[in-house]
Amino acid sequence: MSTVSRGGLRRTRRNRGGMSRNAGSDVKAAYLFIAPAIIGFTVFVVYPLIRSFYLSLTKYNGLTDPVFVGLSNFRRLFTVDPAFWPSLRATAYLVLLYVPLSLILGLALAMFCNQRFAGVRLVRTLAYLPVVLPAIATITLWKFIMNPQVGLLNTILERLHLPTSLWLQSPAMSMPSVVLVMLWGVGGTMIIFLAALQAVPNELYEAARVDGAGAWSVFVRITLPMISPIMLLQVILQTTAALQTFNQPKILTNGGPGFSTNVLMLSIYNNGFPNLGRIPQLGYASAQVWVLFILIIAVIALTAKFTSLWTYSDNTPD
Amino acid sequence: MTTLPTEAAAPVVPATEPPAPRPQKKPRLVGTTAWYVTALFICAVMVVPLLWMITIGLKSRTAVFDIPPKLLPTEWTWSNFVNGPEAIHFPRLLLNSTIITALSVVGGVMTAMMAGYALARLRFPGRKVWFYLFVGSMLLPGVVGLIPLFQLYKSIGWYDTWLPLIVPAFLGGNPLFIFLARQYFLAIPYSIDEAAKIDGAGHFRIFTQVMLPLTRPAWITMSILAFQASWNDFLNPLVYLYSSEKWPLSVGMASFISAFAGQTPDWSYYMATNLLYMLPPLIVFFAAQRYFIQGLGALGSTNQK
Repeated sequence: MSTVSRGGLRRTRRNRGGMSRNAGSDVKAAYLFIAPAIIGFTVFVVYPLIRSFYLSLTKYNGLTDPVFVGLSNFRRLFTVDPAFWPSLRATAYLVLLYVPLSLILGLALAMFCNQRFAGVRLVRTLAYLPVVLPAIATITLWKFIMNPQVGLLNTILERLHLPTSLWLQSPAMSMPSVVLVMLWGVGGTMIIFLAALQAVPNELYEAARVDGAGAWSVFVRITLPMISPIMLLQVILQTTAALQTFNQPKILTNGGPGFSTNVLMLSIYNNGFPNLGRIPQLGYASAQVWVLFILIIAVIALTAKFTSLWTYSDNTPD
Repeated sequence: MTTLPTEAAAPVVPATEPPAPRPQKKPRLVGTTAWYVTALFICAVMVVPLLWMITIGLKSRTAVFDIPPKLLPTEWTWSNFVNGPEAIHFPRLLLNSTIITALSVVGGVMTAMMAGYALARLRFPGRKVWFYLFVGSMLLPGVVGLIPLFQLYKSIGWYDTWLPLIVPAFLGGNPLFIFLARQYFLAIPYSIDEAAKIDGAGHFRIFTQVMLPLTRPAWITMSILAFQASWNDFLNPLVYLYSSEKWPLSVGMASFISAFAGQTPDWSYYMATNLLYMLPPLIVFFAAQRYFIQGLGALGSTNQK
């Protein structure tokens, strides 16, 4: 951020130095250049934000005009709807299972790939490969891999004489299975950590080596503090993405068995865009959207609030 | 599930080993062996599912359900690669996906580069405000727009057309791209546009003839990210497209395996076609690998400072 404000200062100074002749045409040109983005911001950000908040306070089926009902959608959500608390619980379970595992595995993989061994580039490429493939292609592939009778996973476990599982079809294992499929894409987390690790100055490690620090204390006292700003970014990115998980539960389980994988996004989709023959409850679904939205804002705010406690920042002027 | 934690624990040991300087032969050898064993395991986890997919694509439709399952097909059914795509209407889905993706890549990258140029290199009132608004909108979850925009598109007759998938891209649809473009433009020396200005070039000429060639890595990276986002998008086409002849690959492929009326999907047809579906992103990845890493690296390093 500091570079940004410095750039701004430099330009203002130059502005006084006689380049302001073109200021008028600059303003016009600038607004022409950002006009598409401004229109997009108004239509796709401001309008939906206001409209969706209004809709969450109405009863609306998409055909007749919305009818204002105050907070009754939210009252129904929290007190009447038998599907809401299970969907909130499923979402929380998914986040608590996926985010820590994704961060730990991603960091471990990044450290593993941040070493000088012949063939390390191949490992890095292959670890990133699942991220590149279309999500639908990999999710459908895993749906078949987790088939209890003929799937690859149980075939391998059986040959190794390890216990097999019903995976997606068992209420207890369905969410861990969904998370397992998501973790196959851990390369996405890895690649950001890898960039952070490579930015750590080598002198720090050398100094630690001279002082005789062990591997663990190097990791805890140098690596972790140095990458803590990226860790913060990752916590926010992964948590907000996990809260909005849709593709995996939609295709792998469609919410089942029972409500075990019926995450909030899936519930919103099913209420707002139900199968033919059922009436869409767009007002009610909007109320659910706002619950999810507030959760996301809360996660970002809390993570940012506690940042100063555990991230390292370089305050030395350069 | 049970194997993953060991994968997490194992690399930590060799990862922090280089600081141990003593040139003893034995621990080094152990470390190297441990590294390669772990590497082999990681590669297997990433590649074996894909190889298995290919073997399923080569099996006949009944052999897929043999019990106990065989890892390799007994008879190789190459015709799956012809009949499978035909059963799924792959050519039409591919054409749809190609058109939608190409247009949204062009639109998304173009408008983001324009906005990034203005925000980084032109002086105008409100520059900071617009920048923070665009960046702030990155935090807005896409689902907030889903229902209001669905109704909006319906009321202007865009429902069941490709317009909801393409037009937002032409209106700076991805704030991350605006952020990346601005970041890249800030790094270019200002003397360059001053020189161009003295030579009499207007903003349009500076942008197209001076800036675009200089920012090539930025817009290639963005194009790849935009390609991936559009090619992989599932929720939006699922919501906005009703007729199956307009579907892109993501929705078409997914609908083939969601069993209708208790009918089991033909997995060998499906897996053969799935391989074809994966090919375009794979080709892009191997052709432009360095930009994938660079783009996300840029995200990492810009946020660090």
